[in-house]
Amino acid sequence: MSGGPAVQISIESACEKQVQEVALDGTETYVQPLSMSQNLAKLAQRIDFGQGSGSEDEGGEGEARGQEWGKQEQEEDEATVKFQPSLWPWDSVRNNLRSALTEMCVLYDVLSVVKEKKYMTLDPVSQDSTVGKTPPVLQLLGKKKSLATAAQLLLKGAEKLNKSVAENQENRRQRDFNSELLRLRSQWKLRKVSDKILGDLSYRSAGRSLFPHQGTFEVIKNTDIDLDKKIPEDYCPLDVQIPSDLEGSAYIKVSIQKQAPDIGDLGTINLFRRQLKPKSGTQPWHLKLEAAQNVLLCKEIFAQLSREAVQIKSQIPHIVVKNQIISQPFPGLQLSISLCHSTGDKKNQKSTPDKNKPDDHLYVLEHNLHQLMREFHKQTLSSVVMPHPASAPFGNKRMRLAGPMAYDKAEITSLQQSEGLLEKIIKQAKHIFLRSRTARTIDSLASRIEDPQIQAHWSNINDVYESSVKVLITSQGYEQICKSIQLQLTIGVEQIRVVHRDGRVITLSHQEQELQDFLLSQMSQHQVHAVQQLAKVMGWHVLSFSNHVGLGSVESIGNASAITVASSNGEYSVSVRNGPESGCKVMVQFPRNQCKDLLKSDVIQDNKWNYLRGPHKEVHWSKMEGRNFVYKMELLMAALTPCP
Amino acid sequence: MEAPPVAVMPVTGGSIHMMEYLLQGSVLDQALESLLHRLRGLCDNMEPESFVDHEMVFLLKGQQGSPFILRARHSLDRPAAPWHLRYLGQPEVGDKSRHALVRNCVDVSASHSLHDFLLEMGFRMDHEFVAKGHIFRKGALKVVVFKLFRILLPGNTENTEPLSLSNLVELSVLAPAGQDTVSDDMRNFAEQLKPLVHLDKIDPKRLM
Repeated sequence: MSGGPAVQISIESACEKQVQEVALDGTETYVQPLSMSQNLAKLAQRIDFGQGSGSEDEGGEGEARGQEWGKQEQEEDEATVKFQPSLWPWDSVRNNLRSALTEMCVLYDVLSVVKEKKYMTLDPVSQDSTVGKTPPVLQLLGKKKSLATAAQLLLKGAEKLNKSVAENQENRRQRDFNSELLRLRSQWKLRKVSDKILGDLSYRSAGRSLFPHQGTFEVIKNTDIDLDKKIPEDYCPLDVQIPSDLEGSAYIKVSIQKQAPDIGDLGTINLFRRQLKPKSGTQPWHLKLEAAQNVLLCKEIFAQLSREAVQIKSQIPHIVVKNQIISQPFPGLQLSISLCHSTGDKKNQKSTPDKNKPDDHLYVLEHNLHQLMREFHKQTLSSVVMPHPASAPFGNKRMRLAGPMAYDKAEITSLQQSEGLLEKIIKQAKHIFLRSRTARTIDSLASRIEDPQIQAHWSNINDVYESSVKVLITSQGYEQICKSIQLQLTIGVEQIRVVHRDGRVITLSHQEQELQDFLLSQMSQHQVHAVQQLAKVMGWHVLSFSNHVGLGSVESIGNASAITVASSNGEYSVSVRNGPESGCKVMVQFPRNQCKDLLKSDVIQDNKWNYLRGPHKEVHWSKMEGRNFVYKMELLMAALTPCP
Repeated sequence: MEAPPVAVMPVTGGSIHMMEYLLQGSVLDQALESLLHRLRGLCDNMEPESFVDHEMVFLLKGQQGSPFILRARHSLDRPAAPWHLRYLGQPEVGDKSRHALVRNCVDVSASHSLHDFLLEMGFRMDHEFVAKGHIFRKGALKVVVFKLFRILLPGNTENTEPLSLSNLVELSVLAPAGQDTVSDDMRNFAEQLKPLVHLDKIDPKRLM
């Protein structure tokens, strides 16, 4: 007490009441002990009134009760295990006393230990000296340190996660070298040679190439990238290096120009000229390679054309100057094919303004030329058959038979490849030119001459070397009656073939004048034919008709035609002579009795001879009313027809 | 009667000198399928053609030691095709760096009476064999994979037995003289067949 540390002793009374419930905060609620009346009620319930024998014997009752008590006690003693509580009314008292005694003894012991300290002392329970000793500052520091360690671990983990996520994003955006290479490989041919990666952009795999250009490009890694700065949007880790002579862009220009003043320039078309608009998904290397391949294609085609130009013998030799081939399909017409190769970004290149004339002939030529070029490459690949026996060289199967079957020169030349590229182009140019000139002739005639109208129906589907047009010559208002002049023109490469409705076939050369003259002569014939048809309709009789009259002045273009028709009662007749140059001349024949200035003579005995037709009188045709010849003729005939 | 000795002039096929560039190799029967698949992928895209040819080799003994050899070949599965006569000269002893065997080559198509004609001319048939296989092409390159069959009864092409368990692979190009880039192309192609078959230039003289 005086020397040792202070020890705290806690005393608590024995729990008499039962704990009914322990709340969450530790408070205990006790079962309230039974009050007097409750206790009495509880005890009364235990009494079994039914079992009591009755009120016969009070003494016996008392004894019986005593016996009952004893019996019950015995029974209870025997069955103490089974049924404890109704044993003895003093049982609870005894228990309480006993527990009180226990408690008192313990208290007595504790007090004696505290007082005497002979055999036992009170010793405090040893506790951590630091709990009460350490100041709160140190505690705080300790907690802080441990928290810091935990935080550091967590941060390290988070950092790693962050880094990997950022790397993924970087990769997706940046598309590293290998994935670009894979993409390149899916579209272009690549092969690895020692430590370089080379590619091939020539057309060798499309067939035997005539142009001995290697066409190899090199793939290099684009490493000049500054990682600190922001990566530009169009950055690509892969770069291609193309041979120097394929740089830039090229196209083939085909132009047809006049040298004579009759027609205008047919114009110029540019083949294989691509406007490289980079789409959003294409990579720069793709555009570069495509441009280089285009340059190679143009060079190859031009080389083939110039080779042919030198080899082919034609009437007017072709001129090959540097990168231009000039030839003359027709006299006065010049066809020039040139290779335009612009390297790099020369701004001063005189870019011909792309004013494509809305002339459909040129579009057709362009389309045809494109098809020609592509077909040229295709033909070297597909048409070869394997040789049997296997040791024979590759080549045309029929040529191999030439020896054993003893072909002569004519047969062999018919077997060989007929035409080269240049010849085909020239033929096409000729046809285009002829066609446009024919159209122009017909249109100029149609606009110049109103009276017989000329209509041209061009067919939609044409061949590369052949087109056709149907020309109708009609009079306005009388199309159903006068449709005898219908011409089918077939325009070939050098000639025009005309098939007439009556079956004549005429071949015209490429001269424009021939066609014009022919059409004019047909127009004049039409007028006369129209009169013939009209006469049928009006009921007049055709007395004579001739397509080519041998009388009168000689026409310079074609021949004049003439017709004579007589009215239904025979009184009047109309004669028409129409020539392409001399125009039309109309004469009317009146009956004799209507002519005033006839000499009366004695030859005529009878009066009836006066009703015959007499002299002719010319009609002032230009003063006649009517908008065209046939209308005027109809009016004339109507005027001369007597009313019934 | 023995044919009178002839003086052998240098053989030219007209104005054009064609040289044959050749690389040869062989492959066992088990590996044939995979080789054909590979070739099908590498060569031009056509249906693979098979052939059955009968070749006869004719000799003409001259005054000099080496006899004159002509090869007459005709197709057994296309009997209408003309016969093919071939002369192959000595391999050119050029620089060792050339990758293919180069020899002068003259090819002539002939009618079906070639056999009798050669016999009448004085040639003697040395040996004959039947070749069955496939032919591929890649541009000007011809790849032939075939198996040689020995003819048991002379003149009877039905009765044949295979000569060995392997197939001969030949890579050849016919080109005019002087083009050396051809052998580079051939070597590049041969590289692509490398693990399946090794194509090399094999000097026939060294085999004798």
